[in-house]
Amino acid sequence: MPAVEVAALGAARKLLGFSRSQLLVENGTVGDLLQQLKTLDGRTLYEHMVCEGRLRGDFAVVVDGLSLKADGLGKRLLGGEQVVTMAILRHLHGG
Amino acid sequence: MALADAVPASENHWIPSTCGMCLHGCGIKVLVRDGIALKIEGDETNPDNLGKLCPKGNAGISRLYDSHRVLTPLKRTNPEKGVDVDPKWVPISWEEAYEITARELRRVRQDDPRKLLCALGDFQRILFWGWPAVFGSPNFFTSLGNYCGGSYHPVNGSVDGSFAAINDYERCNYWIQIGSGDGFSSHLHLSGSAKRMADARMRGMKVVTLDPRCSVAAAKADEWIPTLPGTDRAFVLGMAHVLLHELKQYDREFLRDRTNAPYLVKSDGYLLRHQDGRAMVWDSARNAAQPWDEVPPEAMALEGTFQYEAQRVSTGFEVWKQLLADHTPERMGEICTVLPATIRRIAREFVEAAQIGRTIEIDGKTYPFRPAALNYYRGSQSHANGLFDNLAYKMFNMLVGNIDVPGGHLGVPLDHRGFFISEGEDGVLKPEPHQLHPAPGFKYPPDSTHLMEWFPIGFDAGQLNTETLLHPERFGLNYRPEAMLIYHSNPLWNMPETDKVEQIMRGMKFVVAIDIQHTESTQWADIFLPDRTFLESTLLNCLEPPVVTGHSLRQPVVEPLGDTKDAYDILTDLAERIGFRDDWNDLLNIVCGFTAKPQYLLDPERRYSDTELWDRYARSIYGEDHGLDWFKQHGHAVRPRSPEETFLPFGKLRIPFYFEFIKRTGEQMRKNLQQAGVPDWPLDNYQALPFWKSSQVIDDGSLGYDFYAITFKESLHTFADTLVMPWLSEVSEKDAIHGGILVNSATAGEFKISTGDRIRLSSPSGKIEGRAQVIEGIHPQVLGVSNAITRRVVSNPRVKQKGSHFNRLLSGSMRYTDSATGGLESTARVRVEKLS
Repeated sequence: MPAVEVAALGAARKLLGFSRSQLLVENGTVGDLLQQLKTLDGRTLYEHMVCEGRLRGDFAVVVDGLSLKADGLGKRLLGGEQVVTMAILRHLHGG
Repeated sequence: MALADAVPASENHWIPSTCGMCLHGCGIKVLVRDGIALKIEGDETNPDNLGKLCPKGNAGISRLYDSHRVLTPLKRTNPEKGVDVDPKWVPISWEEAYEITARELRRVRQDDPRKLLCALGDFQRILFWGWPAVFGSPNFFTSLGNYCGGSYHPVNGSVDGSFAAINDYERCNYWIQIGSGDGFSSHLHLSGSAKRMADARMRGMKVVTLDPRCSVAAAKADEWIPTLPGTDRAFVLGMAHVLLHELKQYDREFLRDRTNAPYLVKSDGYLLRHQDGRAMVWDSARNAAQPWDEVPPEAMALEGTFQYEAQRVSTGFEVWKQLLADHTPERMGEICTVLPATIRRIAREFVEAAQIGRTIEIDGKTYPFRPAALNYYRGSQSHANGLFDNLAYKMFNMLVGNIDVPGGHLGVPLDHRGFFISEGEDGVLKPEPHQLHPAPGFKYPPDSTHLMEWFPIGFDAGQLNTETLLHPERFGLNYRPEAMLIYHSNPLWNMPETDKVEQIMRGMKFVVAIDIQHTESTQWADIFLPDRTFLESTLLNCLEPPVVTGHSLRQPVVEPLGDTKDAYDILTDLAERIGFRDDWNDLLNIVCGFTAKPQYLLDPERRYSDTELWDRYARSIYGEDHGLDWFKQHGHAVRPRSPEETFLPFGKLRIPFYFEFIKRTGEQMRKNLQQAGVPDWPLDNYQALPFWKSSQVIDDGSLGYDFYAITFKESLHTFADTLVMPWLSEVSEKDAIHGGILVNSATAGEFKISTGDRIRLSSPSGKIEGRAQVIEGIHPQVLGVSNAITRRVVSNPRVKQKGSHFNRLLSGSMRYTDSATGGLESTARVRVEKLS
C-alpha cells in the first residue's frame, strides 16, 4: 500500500515538529492517521484536533484537495493520498 | 496622431499588465520606450474591460512618475506628532528601517501581539492581509469595506454564496438602480461595465435610478427618483407590498421550488421542525405538515396559515406577506418622499418586465428568463439597518424569481473559485456570510478591538475602534494597542470621527507605514517603508469580476524607481526579522489555496521571491504549463463566465427566503452576552425577515438636524486615495459637483445661500465647512459632499485644497452601526448655517 503524504501547517507543524512526512496507514481512516501522528508533547495530533469524535472548529484537514467536514474523520485512506493538517487562523481580515 | 504612432516602431514595447488604480484590475497594455512608460491603454484582448479604461487607469502613469512619491525608506526625527506636524523625515537605509521596525514590533509581539493595530488596504494584495494574524494580532483598523460592503457581502454570501451581485447586462430589459454607480460611474469593474450598460441601453433596456443626488446613473437613466438617504428600503418594501397585496403577481414556482419560502414558521419565529429536526412544509395534497423532503414541490403550500397540533403555523412566504400588509405605498412613500403612485407604477412596470413564467434556451439548456432586476450598492445599504436593506432588495428580486437566472440579478463570486456552494440545513444552501476569513467564535473579553467576535455574521467593523480604543473598559478589553501597521490605508481620512482617530494614533508608541506616498495617516509614522506602484510590481489579480473569470497579470513594465521594495518582500523581510517567516509561508499556503494541491506548498524554512510565489500560484490554478512566463506572454487568463458558471449555481439546493439562521444567531449572541455579563448590547437587527424600521440617523431629525448629508464618488477617484494625483485632481476641479457642498436650489433659497458662500454643516458627531455649490440635481433635504473634494496631506502643490472632510460628520459608535453585520451608517443628519 502506498504511503500517505502528510503536510502540517502552522500550529499543526509546531505540534508535530515537521512540515512534511510520509506514513503508512494500513486500511485506516483519517482519524487513525491523526492517532498515528505523535506530537512533541507526547500526545497525538488526534488529541489536539479532535473533540468528542469531531474535528475541532479551529483545525482543518484537507485530503486530496477536499476539506474534511467535522464529522468526516471516518474517511478511509487507501494510500497515496495527500493530507494537509492545519490550524484555522481566526483573525484573518477582510473589508 | 496617437502617441504610439509618434514613436519609432522599433523602439515601442506594449507590455500587457493589470491596472492597480482600484481593486478590480482592468487589463491594460503599457507603451514603454527606452525604459520609460509613456501611455496606458485598455487591453482589448481582455474580455473583462474590453479594451476600455476609466480615468484613473488612464492616469496611472502619473502615479508612477509622481515627483512626490516616497522613493526611499524614511525615519521620523520629530518626536512630536499631530495633524499638520512636520515629521521631519530623513532618508535611511532599508537595513536601518528594518532594524528599527523589527525591534519595535518584536517587543510588542513578545509582550502581547494583540497590541499591534493594523490598518490594511490594497485589495489587490488581499492575500497578504493575513500578515497581522500570523503576527498574532486580531486587530483591524480601517473603514474601506465598512462604508461599502459591511452588510452587502454577508447577505450575498448567505443567499447564493456570492460576494457581490449585478444585474444581467446582456439580457435585462428593466433595471432598477439604487444608490449604485454600476455600469455608470463606480463599483464592479467599471470600464467594461460601462460598455455593457451602454450596449444594453442601445438595445432598449430601461433604467430607473433611485438616488438622493442626480448621479451619473440618475442623469443617464430613463427616470430619476430622488429619495431620502437610508429610506430606499421603504420604496422597495412598498413595491413588494404592491406585488404581494395589490397585483398579486410573483413567481410562485421559483419561490416554492427554489427557496425555503414554503417552510413553516411557528409563532416564535423559528421553523416548525419534525422530531428528527427536519423543517416542515404544508403538504396541500394530504392537508398536513410533513418534512420538507417528503413532499413533492408541486404539493408544497407557498402561502397560508395552518393548524398544526396546538399551534398556528404559516409559511415563511406568508409571514413576510403579512408583515408587509401595512407597508402600503402611502406609508412607505411618506418615509422615502416618493409619491405612492410612483411606487405603484414602478412595481407594475417591474413585474410586467420580469415576464414571470417565460424561459430561455442558452447553449441547449433551458433557464427561467426574468429580464427585470433591482441592482444596488453602497448608497442604498450602507446604513445602520444595512442588513434589512440588503435582505429587502434581495427578496424583492426573489419575488419575481430573477436570482441567478438570465436577465435577472446575478451573483458575482469573490474570485476565480466561483460561488461558495455547499448544502446547509433542510436542503437550503449553506449561508457563507464570511468569505474573507473564518468567522471568529464569540469570546469575552474579546480579543479584537473591533469586536469581531461579537459579529458572527458580520464583517470587520473597523469603525468601532473609535469607541473601544478610547473606552476599552466598556467592552471588557484588557489591553490597549501601542503599535500600528499602516498598509496602504488611511484611517485618519477614511474613518468616521476623525478627532477620535487622532486621539487613538496619539496613543501609539510606534507606527510603521507601508505605502507609496504620504497620507494623513502616514504622517504619524515613525518609519515609512516605500512600496512599488502597480507598474513596478508583480501579482495575479481576480476580484469580483461580474461577467468573466480568471486572473490577469500585473508585471513590472519599467525598472522600479528609487530605493523601493515590493510589499510582499517588505512583509516577508519583517516576518523573517521578527521571527515568524515559517508561519507567514504557511499562511500563504492556506490563502493561496496550496493546501488543495500540496505539491505547491511553500517550505516553511525557505524564503521565496515574489515571482516564485506568483509562479506557484499561477501553476496551482491553471496547470504546470501556465506559470508566470505564460502570463508574461499572454497577459491574462480571463475568459467569459459560462452559463453553467453563472446561472442557478446553487443547483437543486434551495436558497433562503426566510432567514431563520440570522434569528438563531442573534438568540445565540443574546445567550453569550448574557453569560458574559455584557448588558445592553444591541441585537435588534437579528431578524429573519426585513421590514421598515427607523434608525438613529433618521431619528436624529427630531433633534433639529433637519437635513441629510451624503458623500458620493465618481469614476475619477478611488476612495480619497487618487485625489492627490494632479491629473485626476485637475479633472475633478473642472466639474462643479466636486467644487463644494451641493445644495438644492430651493434649500439655498430658503437659507439665502448662493454658490461660493461658505456654509457649515453640523451633525451630532462633528462639523465641516466649505463653499456651497447650488444645483438642481439633489434632493431638497440632502446636502452632498464629493469624496473628491479635498485632502489635507497633499504633497503636490498642484492639487488644490477645498475643505469639507465628510467623514467628520459620521459616528463610529454602535448606535450608528448595524447590530448584526457591523455595517457603518454612511449618512449623517445635519444642520446648515450660512457663514458668509
